[in-house]
Order: sequence, then C-alpha cells, then structure tokens
Amino acid sequence: MIYQLRHTTSYSYSAPVTLCHNEARMLPRELPWQRCEASRIEILPSPAVESERQDFFGNRVLYFAIQDIHQALEVSVRTRLETRPRPALPVRLPGDWQGCRDTLASAAEKSCLQARLYRLDSPFVRRNPRLADYAAASFTPGRSLLEAVQDLNRRIFDEFTYDPSFTTLATPLIEVLEQRRGVCQDFAHLAIGCLRSIGLAARYVSGYLETFPAPGQPKLVGADASHAWLAVFLPGWGWLELDPTNGSLPGEQHVVVGWGRDYADVPPLSGVMSGGGDHTLEVAVDVIPESPPAAEIHPEQAPESRRLG
Amino acid sequence: MPTMLVPDLPESLLDTPPSAAAEGTRSLEALLAGYAVGDSTRHDMLFDATGELRPHWRELLEEFAALGEQGLAERADEVQRLLYENGVTFNVHDDLRGRLRTWRVDPLPLVIPAAQWRELEAGLVQRSRLLDALLADIYGPRRLIEEGYLPPELIYEHPGFLFACDHSHDDAPRAGLVFHGVDLILDDQGQWRVVADRLQAPSGAGYALENRIILARAMPTLYREAPLRRLSSFLEAEHRTLAALSTLHREQPNVVLLTPGPDSDGYFEHAYLANYMNLSLVESLDLVVRDSRVWMRTLGGLKPVDVILRRLEDAWCDPLELRADSLIGVPGLVQAARSGGVALANPLGVSVLEHPGLAPYLATLCERLLGEPLKLAPPQSWWCGDPQALATVLDDFEHLTLRDIEPGSSWIRTTELSEAELAVLRQRVEERPSRYVAQRPLRSATAPVYDDASGRFVPRPLNLRAFVTADSDETTPGPALGETESDGRRYRAMPGGLAWAGVPGTPSLDSDVVKDVWVLADEPQRHVSLLRQAAGPIVVTRDGNDLPSRVADSLFWLGRYGERLDVRARLLREGLLRLLEQEQAEYADTTMADLFEVLTLAWPDVGSGEHGGEAGARAAGASLGGRFHDLRAALLTLLDDDTRQGLPAYFQQMLRNSRAVRDHLGDDAWRVLNQLRRQINAMPRVPSASAGRRACEEVVNQLAAFFGLCNETMPHHYGWRFMDIGRFIERVLRTLELLRLALLDAREPGVALWEVVLATTDNVTAYRRRYRSELHPTAILDLLLFDEGNPRSVGYMLKRLGRQIERLPQPDSAPYRSREQRLIVQASSTLQLADIDLLADVHASERAREALASLFDDLLTPLEQLSDAIGHSHFSHAETPKQLIKMQVQP
Repeated sequence: MIYQLRHTTSYSYSAPVTLCHNEARMLPRELPWQRCEASRIEILPSPAVESERQDFFGNRVLYFAIQDIHQALEVSVRTRLETRPRPALPVRLPGDWQGCRDTLASAAEKSCLQARLYRLDSPFVRRNPRLADYAAASFTPGRSLLEAVQDLNRRIFDEFTYDPSFTTLATPLIEVLEQRRGVCQDFAHLAIGCLRSIGLAARYVSGYLETFPAPGQPKLVGADASHAWLAVFLPGWGWLELDPTNGSLPGEQHVVVGWGRDYADVPPLSGVMSGGGDHTLEVAVDVIPESPPAAEIHPEQAPESRRLG
Repeated sequence: MPTMLVPDLPESLLDTPPSAAAEGTRSLEALLAGYAVGDSTRHDMLFDATGELRPHWRELLEEFAALGEQGLAERADEVQRLLYENGVTFNVHDDLRGRLRTWRVDPLPLVIPAAQWRELEAGLVQRSRLLDALLADIYGPRRLIEEGYLPPELIYEHPGFLFACDHSHDDAPRAGLVFHGVDLILDDQGQWRVVADRLQAPSGAGYALENRIILARAMPTLYREAPLRRLSSFLEAEHRTLAALSTLHREQPNVVLLTPGPDSDGYFEHAYLANYMNLSLVESLDLVVRDSRVWMRTLGGLKPVDVILRRLEDAWCDPLELRADSLIGVPGLVQAARSGGVALANPLGVSVLEHPGLAPYLATLCERLLGEPLKLAPPQSWWCGDPQALATVLDDFEHLTLRDIEPGSSWIRTTELSEAELAVLRQRVEERPSRYVAQRPLRSATAPVYDDASGRFVPRPLNLRAFVTADSDETTPGPALGETESDGRRYRAMPGGLAWAGVPGTPSLDSDVVKDVWVLADEPQRHVSLLRQAAGPIVVTRDGNDLPSRVADSLFWLGRYGERLDVRARLLREGLLRLLEQEQAEYADTTMADLFEVLTLAWPDVGSGEHGGEAGARAAGASLGGRFHDLRAALLTLLDDDTRQGLPAYFQQMLRNSRAVRDHLGDDAWRVLNQLRRQINAMPRVPSASAGRRACEEVVNQLAAFFGLCNETMPHHYGWRFMDIGRFIERVLRTLELLRLALLDAREPGVALWEVVLATTDNVTAYRRRYRSELHPTAILDLLLFDEGNPRSVGYMLKRLGRQIERLPQPDSAPYRSREQRLIVQASSTLQLADIDLLADVHASERAREALASLFDDLLTPLEQLSDAIGHSHFSHAETPKQLIKMQVQP
C-alpha cells in the first residue's frame, strides 16, 4: 500500500508562551516492510532550533525549540510511504511456550539478549500476578507460543469494550483489567503486562491505522487517529505484532512510527514550556491510500467495525 | 567564605610558648595512653600486630605530644571554632534550635605513608578508567551486554540507566567521566576495599579542602613543616580539566557550578567550591537553553555558559527528557549537551555506575575493558538477579548485608533482623531477586580519633572518600578530552581526601567526626598557598553585569529583611525599656498601646494575667504586677520562633536570602551573621524584660556590623547596590510609618511617642545637640523628614535611593526613564516641594495635620510601588516550566 500520512497537532494557550522545547515522535521508521519518503514537517511558529536524531530504540525523534513569544503551536507532519505485507508467520516454532520463555531467559544469542529489556517493568506497565492470572487461560502448559499469544490477543478483543470515555493516560492497568474497557493504548499496555508477567518480552508499538468509512459514507478528513498495538518476541523468529484492539495481526494498513517499552517512550509530541496558562489541543490524522484499498482485510471482520486507538 | 591564605593568628595560638611547652610536654607513651586496640586479629592503623607504633605516625604524634595536654585541647577547640565560623552545618536548611548539627574536625589527620598511597592511587586511577570505559559502552554499543559480560537486567532495571542518554546511534564525541569519588575502608586485614562510587555529585572534596585549611590555620607550624603532599596541584588539574571541556570558548570559558539550591545538604560545599575555584554558583532558574546552548540570566542579559560543574543529580536535570516532574531542572539541557552546546561534568547518565550490583562484575570487566587485573578489590558481593548468585545468597542469608538497588537505599545487616523481618526480606528477594544486592559484611581496621571529652585518642573504624579527576594536561598534546578513544583519558587522584568515623558504609552526614587525610611525601614539599593561582590571562571586569538576576534578587531581599529586623528590634527595645522604667507607675500609658500597634501585637485584656501562678492570683484585682507581666509576656512573644512577625522569623528570611548569595558575602560579614544566628537561636530563653532589651540591642549591633562590613568589603557594583536599595526602601517605608503614627495617628500624640521615634531612629543625641530644647514636632519633622544631611531622614534616604537606582543597569539604553526611576523622582520631588511652613504647627492646626497626612500619602504611594517595579525590571525570573502533556505514571 502507498499512503499519504498527515498528522497535525494544534495547541492553543490561554497565556503567552515565551519559550518551549519539544520532542516529536511522528516520523515513521524505516522497516523492511515499510519504505518512507522524506517527511514534510511544518511547525508554526517556526522553531529556532530543529534537529533530528535516533533514540535508544532507533525511533526518529525531532527536537525543536520555539524561542519567540507565541500563543498557539501547530506541528504538522506529512509523509508518503509504502507498506508491504509483514513476513509470513512461522509455520511452527519448536517446543511449547514455556520452552521459549526459558530460552529467552538464558540464551546467549544477541536477539534474545536485546529482547530481555522488554521483559522488565516500565513506567506504565508493571508486572503483576493478576495480569499473569489473566494470561494463564491462554498460556496453558504445553501450548505453542504462537498459538497462545494469538489467543490472548483474541481474548482481549472479545472480552474488553472499546470505550474512549473511560480511560485517561493515568488510568492504572489493573483498573482496565477490572473494568474490561479502555482504548487501544490500554489494550496494548494490558497485553504487554500479561506477557511480561509470565516472563515473555513485549514492546509497545505506536503508529497509524487506515480506517474505512461506513458503507456509502465518504471518508472524512482528519477522522483517523493514531493507533497503538504491541509486539511479542518469539525466540528464534523475531518480533510478532499483535493488535488486541482489533483482535488481529497487523498488516499493510498498520503504519509503524516507532516502538518502546510503553507509551512513555513514544509519545507523538512532548514538550516543556514557560508560560502558557491553560491550553486546548486538537489532533487531526489522515491515512489516505494512494492506491485502491486492498479488499482482503480480515475474513471475519467487516471493515467498518475496525477500531482506532 | 574562609580566607584561603594561612592567616595571622592571635599570638597565643601561633606556637606554644617555650616555657609552657616545657611544662606541658608529654611523652609519646603518655599521649597514647589508653589507646586500647583490644582485638589483635584486627588491623590497626596506628599500631602493628606486635604492638609497635607504625613509623609514619611517629613524627606527627611527637609534635602532638609536645603540645601538652592543654595545648592539644586548645588546638582542638580552635579547630572547632574555625569550623563553626565557616558555617559548616550539614542541615543548612534546618536552623531550628536544637536540631542544628555540626560535625567535629579531628585535630589529628589520618596519615597515609607514601608507599601505601602509591598503591592506593594506582587502584583509584584504574577504577576511574574502568568506569569511564564502562560508561562509554553502556550508553554506546553495549558490547558488554551482547557478549554476555553484563546481564541486560542489571543495567536496564537500575533507575540510573537513562534511556535519553543513549548515544549508540550517533558518532558525536562522547563525554567521559570527569570526576569520581570513591568510598573506601581499610578492612580488618589491612586491605583497601571500595564500598561505593560517587559520580553524580561527588560531594566531600570541598570539605576535604576546608579541613586542610582549618588544620593549617589551627596548627600552622606543624602543618608547614609536615612532609605531606599538598592539594593545590590536584585542584589546578581539576580546574584545567573543566576549562578544557569547553568546546566553543576555549580562551575564557564560562564555567558554572550548578547547585540544587540552598535547601540541599551540600549547599555550603557548593558555595565553598564555587568560590575556591572561581566559578559562578548558579541554580537551575539562572539557566536557560536557547539555540541549543546554555545561558545564564544576568543583569546584563543572557551570558553563554560553556561548562557546567553539576551538583544536581542526573534524573532531575531536564524535565523534557528526564524526570518530567523535576522543578529544579533546565528544560532542554540534555539536547544542549548532546549537540555539544555545553559540557557537563559529570555527563548525564553516570548514576548507573553507582549501581551496587556492578561490584561482582568489575574484576571481569576490568580484564575485558582494560586488559589488566582489578587492583582495588570490592567486598565479596552478589547481584541476586543472577540465579547462581541468588542461590548462594539464600544459602547464607543470615550472615550477609543486603540492599535494594534503588539509589539511596541503605544496607541491611541480616544479623540485626528479627526472625519475622528476616522472613519478609527473604521473600522480597525471592520475588524480585534482580532488585537486590548482597555483600559479605565488612569489618574495618581501626584508626586513632581524638576524643575531645577525655582528651585522649581512641581507636575507631574510619571511612575514607578519595577523589579522582580527569587530567587534561596542557603540556603534552596527548589525547584530549572528548576524543572517542577511552584509553586516552588520564586521571589523577587527590593526595588526600575526607575521612569520617563510623562502621563501613556510614554516610558522612551521619558521622560525628571527620578527619583530614595527610598523604606523606617522599621528600619535603614546597608549601604552596591554597589560594588558587590563575592559570591563564585574567580578563579584568568591573561592571558586574554578569551577576545572575536571582542573586540580585536575593541581595535585595537580604537588605529588606535585615532592615525590617533592625526596625523591629529597635521598637521592641523601646517597648521593653518603657515597661521597665514604668514598673512602679500606672500602665494606662497610651504610648504603650501605640507601640503595640506598630509592633502588630494584640493589646492584652485587662485582668487576663495568667502568666505565672503568683501573677495570675494577683491579677484578680488587675494589680500593677499582673499588668506588667501581661505586657512583658506579650512583648516577649516577638522573640519566639513561631511568631509570624517575630525577630526569629525575620531573621530566617534574612538568612535564607543570605545563603542564596553565600559566595557574594565576605568572610567577616558571614562570621557576624553566624554570631547573629547564635544570638537569635538563644532568644526564646530570654527570661526578663531587661534581658530581652539586651538581646535586642545585640541584634541591632550585629546587624550594624554586618551591613557595615558589607559596605566596607563588597565591591560597590550591582550586587551591593541591590542590597542597599533593599535596605533603604524598607527603612524609608518604616520611618514614614512611624512618623505618621507619632505625629498623626496615635491615640495620644505627644512627647512620649516622639521620644520613641527619636530613639528608634537613634536620633536622640542628634536632636538634643541641635535643638537643646524639649521635643517639638516641627523640629522632629525637620530632622527626620527634610534634613538630607541626616542619614536617618527620609530626605537622605530618597536621595540615596535615587542615586543607587540611577546606576542600575538599564536594558537596551532606553532614552526614557524606567518605572523605578520615575517613582523615586516622584517621591523626591513631593518631598522637596512640600510646604514646610504650613506643616510647622502640626500639633495645633487641623490644616497642618491635613497637609501632613497628604504629604505622607503622596510619599508612600510611589515608594510602596518601588519594590515591585525594581523586581519587574531586574529580577526576570523564569516561570516554572510546564509539561505539554501530563504523563502521570502509575505508582
């Protein structure tokens, strides 16, 4: 798929801001199945300093500082990119999930050593016996890891209600588990928490998802949103992405921006400012396909039922 | 700040007079009598296993013996006095009476012989090289993790590993380790063991320096002749290294010392070091990142900063990329450092090297990174995240010490735990093994410590903090700092350090006694003054434009609170005096009621006297004695700590502001301030009106001494000007208030109150000499309002304020007058245009009273706005930075 991606964030402040330092993580990563053309970045008012780097996780980070007094900030990133299908799933992984877990814990292989970071607690995701309990229904002894993670993914989709009114950034994971509702970010954190609580490695993926209007409706501009899912490490194979919000395995419609231990590592825009008072925020995201949309999405899932972050 | 030169001392302290020496001299045996080592299996630093005195102590101890018992006690007292005057108090933020702790400096230094030091030094330098190489790998390629030398969890689970400091994706020159503090003990076998590494804000070097200076002052002859290694070359190296870190302004780099502020434990040391090393002492609000560079907010605008000597812990340094809840960080600092706009010493991220779980890996890492065996052995220890180590630890659980890896946690001795506590700890370790580190308990050797109560030396365990600095020797063009090759960085250890008594691992703050550390030289050393000599050409500056605006602000408020305290102390003195003089008279004196009003004290109800049983009993008939007690008690509340407008409260404000400008006050002024503190601290114990009066008098005198010394010694540039403006704004406001009360608002204006006014302004004599008559309001008005020749008159104060304000830095040379200039001109001309004749019979004519009332109003209106106007123009404080998104992390 070829997409035109547009992500605009606008802040408006009740009092003048004299100085702000910001970091944007909105520039999609280059991946074997994702080719990005140069992004067009528009920041208003124009920043005095702008520089791009890669963070610990290899994500692209844009630092910018606005040094003139301003009362509104708009950051707009447009990227044209092409996505291809993810690598085919392994036909079968050797052994059961416990074996994979033990391999991960002890193997001297580089990819395993690197993945071990994602077994640990992170700012938003703490390991917890209750998360392990929830995972246990999927991770029955002797089951293959591939089967078990897909089952967990499906269960979260089935048993949890998508409810944007319920959670905020600060909602604890345990509350999401108890109330069985949340948004994509909560479901990603929940799945990560479950997997880490039983000794597996999982990381948070931040990105976009192409959405489809209801049949017969035109697609509205700015109606898309950022999306979040996760990836689990399969020793001997690599990172398998899961989208518990949609109960699916991410495909060409999932555009990856970056990843980290959890949301705290990859917020699209963060910043510190002097002044400003209160602010209002508007975000508009468009994922516009250049080529006609691929028909096969997921056999049992109607396109309009697809949920955003 | 202490004088850096060895000063002249009173004759009596210079040297023991020969006669006294002959009388007091003791033998070495007598000196060390009672030094009981007790345990022969334990290494002692003074005596060897056969009970022989170790030879390197002999010379120094013979000198001590020659002082005699009395002489030694005097030296010990002198050391304490010098220490007190330097204001070395650990809880500097906590000045409430009784909780003020100071440590004692032992007159006897810890002596380390040359050969032992050489070995230790090599180990220290190697350790710095090792940690530097480790730092480069942890935030760079992380080969040690990939090759299996370091378990990933060991690094990633430690809160000190900062993801923002990763530089594995860029090839910019990496910042290396600059300073390193190493905590050591000599164990019971006589082996040096490293207990901990200090890298974020390695405190103690300033104290080591201070101890050295104090001993040199208290025992000048002994110090001058001792063959000990001097500290000056180390400090020069430190300075050179800092200057060399600057990438942009190599000629005259601006190096600043960043402190968390006067509330932090280390503030005294920060101020001390900044002064000693000639660096600006800054707080985060003084700094701002613009154009990827760091700037200091000064009166003259923004001034670039090249190098930051950091005493702020890693995580708090930047709310953008590090802890978002930090209010003491500089937003954008990480990016500024990353892009080379500023150099930080130490670089950010070093806190991971303070991880206690690294210890068991260091020997292997040393082989891998440096290709040599580790010289300084750590204690036997285990990181429980390793399954094998965990098994060992659980096997021997009852005999170990354990701690959480969280920075700041302390070691727990399992032998000291109850059965139940032991089980809880064991369970926690089993649940989260990677969060725990275990160690075989260490047992220290003993060393002689002077016990000031008994006047004897006693064997006690010691801790030692040694200091290492990167050395960018300019004479050889070797690999400069900032080059990527880690092997190229050279280090040198300070030949000395800070020692303190306590079992291994006791925090220095918790110790009761600290020691200077004397490293003996192979040959006598030339005495070099500890006053640092400039290494390069000095740029002569005089304008004081680079004064941080925060400092100007604090000096201004130091002046205001100092003056406020002075006025209050004077008024209270008058109140108490009046009370005493009228002891036998009627207390229906309305003057007293007016005084209470100006002192904002509630007038005690008649008959409420419940002060003291006897007085209470007599109060039934509202006896004179009861009334006296009531009034006295009410007045003396102003000496209490918790009276909002009491003397101690104002003093605390004054002290707080003076601390924030510690490095701008002279030594003598600081000494007076310390005396004043003692004075204030003793206040609530004042038992009587006459003692209260004396206490007030003392405060007035000390304040006069303090501001007098400031006037005499502070350069008359911006800093001093702001302090002066603060004082005179306060004084003119209080004087006008008092005059209005005495001449217009009082219940009973009259001679009694006029006397108070004259006494409070210390003008009784001036009045008598000039008028030689009884008090008359017109004369008072002339003396205190119009006479510009009288420093206590409003006229003089306005003139002085006008002159000072005229000379403040004016932003971008505006052609029009600033707001504060307009306000002072307004007040001055109001006074100058006043119709003195009309005011003359204020005591008789209603018209004159009205004219005087409006004159006071017209003077007070602009003057009350003056303080804000000055603050607005000059103390441009950064607002507290705010986060764009709130990422509240679940607990």
